[in-house]
Amino acid sequence: MMAIRELKVCLLGDTGVGKSSIVCRFVQDHFDHNISPTIGASFMTKTVPCGNELHKFLIWDTAGQERFHSLAPMYYRGSAAAVIVYDITKQDSFHTLKKWVKELKEHGPENIVMAIAGNKCDLSDIREVPMKDAKEYAESIGAIVVETSAKNAVNIEELFQGISRQIPPLDPHENGNNGAIKLGKQTSQTGRRCC
Amino acid sequence: MALRLRMTAFNAQRCRLRHLGRKLDMCTAEATASLLQAEETFSACLARIDALILKPLLQAEPHDQKGKDNFKLLLLLNDRFQALWNFTEENYRILKQKCSTSESFCIQDFYTVWKGDLFLSLYIQYFVTFANYVVVHGFEHATKSRSEAWKHHKTVLKQFLTDFTSETSMSLALYTVLHKPIRDHVEQYILLLTKLNEALKEGPEKDLVTSAIKEYVKLESFISQVLDEACFTKALWKSLGYKFTDMLCVPERRLLEDSRNLPISASTNRSDRILLFDDVLVLIQGNSFQSFDLKLVWVDKNCREKSAPGVYGLHIITPEETFFLSAKDPQMKAVWQWKLNQAIRQALNGKRDFPLWGKTGEGTEPPSCRFFTYVFRLEGKFKNATYEGKWHWGKPHGKGTLKWRDGRNHVGDFKEGLEHGFGICLVPRRSEDRYDCYKCHWYEGKMRGYGICEYGNEMVYKGYFKDDLRQGFGILENPSADHPFKYTGQWENDKKNGYGVWDDKDRGERYIGMWHDDHKHGQGIVVTQSGVCYQRTFHAGRMVGSGILLLEDDSVYEGNFMEDLTFVGKGKLSFANGFILEGTFTNKLGQGLQTQGILNTSNEQLDDRITKAQLGLEEFPVEKRWKGIYDQFLEFIHSGCKEEMEESFTGFHIQTSKELRKSQEYLFCQRGTEDVSWKMEDILEELVQHQELKSLLPYLDKALKSSLHPLGKLLKALMIAFQATYSGIGANRHLLTMAQEEVKYYAKKIWEFYQGLLHLALEQKGQLPTKSADGETNDQKACSIVLPLILPCFYPELFMLYMLYHEREDDLYCQGIVDLSLFPDIKLLEFLDVQKHLWPLKDLTLTTNQRRSLIKDKCFLSATECLQKLITTVDPREKLVILQKTYEEIESTVSRVVEKDYKLPMDDLLPLLMYVVSRAKIQHLGAEIHLIRDLMDPTNQGGLYDFLLTALESCYEHIQRMRLHQRENCHGTHNS
Repeated sequence: MMAIRELKVCLLGDTGVGKSSIVCRFVQDHFDHNISPTIGASFMTKTVPCGNELHKFLIWDTAGQERFHSLAPMYYRGSAAAVIVYDITKQDSFHTLKKWVKELKEHGPENIVMAIAGNKCDLSDIREVPMKDAKEYAESIGAIVVETSAKNAVNIEELFQGISRQIPPLDPHENGNNGAIKLGKQTSQTGRRCC
Repeated sequence: MALRLRMTAFNAQRCRLRHLGRKLDMCTAEATASLLQAEETFSACLARIDALILKPLLQAEPHDQKGKDNFKLLLLLNDRFQALWNFTEENYRILKQKCSTSESFCIQDFYTVWKGDLFLSLYIQYFVTFANYVVVHGFEHATKSRSEAWKHHKTVLKQFLTDFTSETSMSLALYTVLHKPIRDHVEQYILLLTKLNEALKEGPEKDLVTSAIKEYVKLESFISQVLDEACFTKALWKSLGYKFTDMLCVPERRLLEDSRNLPISASTNRSDRILLFDDVLVLIQGNSFQSFDLKLVWVDKNCREKSAPGVYGLHIITPEETFFLSAKDPQMKAVWQWKLNQAIRQALNGKRDFPLWGKTGEGTEPPSCRFFTYVFRLEGKFKNATYEGKWHWGKPHGKGTLKWRDGRNHVGDFKEGLEHGFGICLVPRRSEDRYDCYKCHWYEGKMRGYGICEYGNEMVYKGYFKDDLRQGFGILENPSADHPFKYTGQWENDKKNGYGVWDDKDRGERYIGMWHDDHKHGQGIVVTQSGVCYQRTFHAGRMVGSGILLLEDDSVYEGNFMEDLTFVGKGKLSFANGFILEGTFTNKLGQGLQTQGILNTSNEQLDDRITKAQLGLEEFPVEKRWKGIYDQFLEFIHSGCKEEMEESFTGFHIQTSKELRKSQEYLFCQRGTEDVSWKMEDILEELVQHQELKSLLPYLDKALKSSLHPLGKLLKALMIAFQATYSGIGANRHLLTMAQEEVKYYAKKIWEFYQGLLHLALEQKGQLPTKSADGETNDQKACSIVLPLILPCFYPELFMLYMLYHEREDDLYCQGIVDLSLFPDIKLLEFLDVQKHLWPLKDLTLTTNQRRSLIKDKCFLSATECLQKLITTVDPREKLVILQKTYEEIESTVSRVVEKDYKLPMDDLLPLLMYVVSRAKIQHLGAEIHLIRDLMDPTNQGGLYDFLLTALESCYEHIQRMRLHQRENCHGTHNS
């Protein structure tokens, strides 16, 4: 039997860039979307094989509105990966993305896998963010980058496969702590969090 | 000795015949005639005895004491004689009268059969009394005092006795005259009945007569045995010195065996004569003797005296002495053994057999368990104490009462001569007219296990003992003293030792921490009524070194301070506003607090790490708290869960605290009468049956709620410990983590205990415990299965701690809620940026006067109401389900509005949730959220419930921030 690893993935990005569309596409293409309970498009799960493991993605959406930005740490704590989405037709959303990356670097979980998704690549004729910019930026921060189209189901699977590959396999001798949920145990969070 | 006869079979047959009333033939008539003739002669004889012997004897009452005692016996003998005579004559007359008037007879007329039992009892009474008189040398005394008068009667006596010669002593003559005619008459009855029996045909009448004959034959042998015993005893008294006779001789006592007669010797060679009486066993040595009440004598024939081959011994066991009787050959041993056992059995029955040595086959062995009262004489713990209760082989064993002369007494279970099992012991206090009352478990004569001790000075201890001393977990309380206190914690050698909680009710202080030899010693936390609390080191009851003092205004002092909380020496005072004062503090009388130091004002923010500091986590790791409770319960399993030990390990079953206050009788009298379905073996059986999760949960719930089940008792003990720490003044926000960890640990330990019980139950059934297949660890199971079940028991205190901890945030959030509550629905939806197409406006029914913009508390009402249920539940699981339902309500409302299934992305969901939260107005939402997060099943992490809880938490945070923001804006406008 293959071991199931639960991986918390959080979605970041401006409102309207298609965060939840990407996840909906990813999850809906799968046979088991009916079984796993969801919270609308805000919380979804999907299990994919990876090597000799099964990766169960627990995907947490966040509100993209600027005013809720400060709440994001509550959502991304304990995440194994973050998918940061921008709209290739909106330069602003790429700026926001950079802000998220910066924040994650500073306050996010250690070793968090970052994946950058340039969504709406089906609208490349009104593109504002060149592919090259995104790639260069991603390289500079060591993140995965793909241009996706939730509408046409382009690169969605690849995006998550990329994440899967970046997750270090479980060391059988050691309870590795690469941000996998069960292991990144949040011990004694008796509200000793700073607010 | 009172002899009562019961001839049930005899009576039953007689009854049957009464209804038959069949006439007898001529042979019977003949027998009746013989009977009449015999009775006539007998009656005449008795009349002569009465007139010539008894009347003269009774005329003169002697004056000396002994003579008086004998005279009393003679009077009694006379009574018995008259009764016998009257009864015989009365029956004779009735029969005679019938003979003269009627020709027909029936069996009922033969009154010796018809009234057989009455006849028998009269004869028995007469001969028993007669024998008593013989034993005390009654006739000898009588003839001596009246010797002159008796000479005239010699000729009279001759008339009765054909073999009477002048050589025969007067006393012997009297003896013979007073028993022989009567004894002979019994013989005559037998002859008459035998004749009648021969004449009768087979049938119920014949059976009746046959059984009557049997009884008369028994009576005959009884009479001869009684007379033999009397003579044997009389001879003994004559041969023994006055010293012994004075003390041993009583009319009713009979000698049953004498070592002179049937040689046997006591092992220790200390006695030269052994006498077995019908009530005591007497060893005589020289001028002294020892007597042992037969009711407390046990005879062990399997005596292993290998040292002397060729000696056949009997081991005699009595409460305070044991010795061997050794005979020369096995036959001798067997006779003594048989006689001893017969005598003991008859002594225990309180009556002799009929006839005296009749029952050879049945019931020769007396019971080894007996009930009797005995006063201990030898030096030792029990000296001069009276024990009344059950005995077994010479030792108190079973239930009994032990009373000392000083008023001390012990009621309870004994085993092999020592207090063992439950007992109640009252010990008078030396100076006052009061008692210390111990209701406790004893083990081999000493207190061990759970007990309640109510001291005469109003102090009460409830807890464990070992070797008569407080040991393990226990609560000592004195509610009514000048300085009322309560200690809940660990004991060792009667002293406070280890982790414990001390309430000083005078000072309104609670000490939580380590103890040594009755003193605060080691790390300790003190919480006070005013909300101040500090943690520091104690040494033999005194504070040493520096500590941390958490003041109620959120400022914190680190350094040395006195018991009255004044700062001394170097210290650091951190104010709530972030300022820090570091320096040396002095506190001289009349000058107030003085300091020299530096005030650092660079920090301008509250530091949660200090104001919310959690105490005791490293000093008292949760595994080390209340070890004494867990130890007892686990020990109970290790000892095999024996029913009789259950209470000793797990404490008394007390349904209500009211019962606990009742007097000790409650515990003793009503024990064991409870619901039998909670017997230990049933409990173990049930555990095996309820292993599947589906039935395990309700079973555990029932067990934990029961005050009889060991699991329920463990929970109750933990509740007591928890309340002792965290209720009342213990409700201090700096103790939250300690309390929260503790509750989780309780769940773990209860699960461990359950597993231990199950393991044992399976083992006892010869089954192998199955390894859990789902791969969940014990900790996870404890948390997912046990924690929700026990949480309600700790919820009030725990939630209070959460409320205190989150007080500031909750206040801020509440202000935010109040602000938002002023908004009408549409205004609020707009304010929260809920997309317009999601506004549930078509749900609203408006009256003509209303405008949509004025509607309040109508939108998403179902979701709001659902969320409000959060405070009605205790179990984090249920709270999370409520959260999920709240979400579902929002979703269904939205789906109705947009008229299709709508999957809400977070961009839409968060504002909507914000709306619902602000409308639900849950007062202590912060406390709720964090309680759920801390106590929910850890497997939820990252999952759906975690997500929902995070979403709720983010709303909570956001509302606070909006409020803060608004406040700052206000300040901003004021400033400008």
